[in-house]
Amino acid sequence: MDEFLLTQVINYGAPLLGIIVFVGGLGVPLPCTVIVIAAGAFARQDILSWEVAALISIVSVVIGDSISYSFGYYSRDKVLSRFSSSPQWAKAEESFRKWGPLSIFFSRFLVTAIALPVNLLSGTTGFPFRKFFVYDLFGEIVWIFGYGGLGYLFGSQWELVSEFMGNFGGAVLGAIIFIFGIKQVWNWQEKKKMLSM
Amino acid sequence: MPKPVNSKQRFFIIASTIFGCLLILFFGLRAIHAFMKFKGHRPPQPAPGQIETDVELIREWMTIPFIARMYYVPEKVLYDALDIPPRENRDKSLEEINKEYFPRSDGLAMQLVKAAILAHQPPPTAVLPLTPLPPLTPLPPLTPVPPVTP
Repeated sequence: MDEFLLTQVINYGAPLLGIIVFVGGLGVPLPCTVIVIAAGAFARQDILSWEVAALISIVSVVIGDSISYSFGYYSRDKVLSRFSSSPQWAKAEESFRKWGPLSIFFSRFLVTAIALPVNLLSGTTGFPFRKFFVYDLFGEIVWIFGYGGLGYLFGSQWELVSEFMGNFGGAVLGAIIFIFGIKQVWNWQEKKKMLSM
Repeated sequence: MPKPVNSKQRFFIIASTIFGCLLILFFGLRAIHAFMKFKGHRPPQPAPGQIETDVELIREWMTIPFIARMYYVPEKVLYDALDIPPRENRDKSLEEINKEYFPRSDGLAMQLVKAAILAHQPPPTAVLPLTPLPPLTPLPPLTPVPPVTP
């Protein structure tokens, strides 16, 4: 898939790059980060104009993210009718209100694997769209300019950069799950202490 | 009063902690490996406008116009090396060209392109030997300055 898309990006340029990141923003699992890093390298080789590619990509991916937010938003009633009575749902809503901005921002470029669940959750929990839009836009700007910039900086060695960043993102996701687990163990011990008192 | 943690929750917590640990190990090691490769013995990246010379960077997904641009080689040279018409093959990757024109020899298109680029590259300019410096001539001994009389 990566190779097919790379060939098409060098053939059709920035518009196709825009379509790829838009579809990725909708939640279709495409190797968008690889393509963005490669696009940076193509810009260095004058295959793409970096200004046009960056602008088209940012606009497209933000539209894609907004649509996936709307999927969550419009399915809110269905979800609420099923879960709204559970205390876990209220807790989830509360914790998303607290951590939502950070998770929206960082899932755009650091832990892209959770970007779609974050978009859907933002919509379902009624996280304000304006706020979502702002954090999404800033996160995507970091993604496009940061990762595309790395591709531009390292040119034909972009494949190694992409390999490193992909694995680094996986390790960060692992760290988040691990920290979550440790926090739960901590809470569990606290509960145990309270119950034994 | 908090509810005690049931066995299902306990399993979920332990499983997620172990899973997180495994992810860190797996991706962390791969990231370190990629970093070491990156830090390894790669030729320096040419600056924008400079010619790429390392033909090992050619990949199966690249098209002829892309390779021509990357290595500053006329497209015609590459099409001639492959002995294929340019018009209908501009958008095809090396892999597609290989499948279509050289189905029996895997990777031949890439080999031909690499050979054509290497043949087209200017020969490396020889580094001129350093001209030896003449031996240092010893300085004449310093003549003592007569003391200043008041």
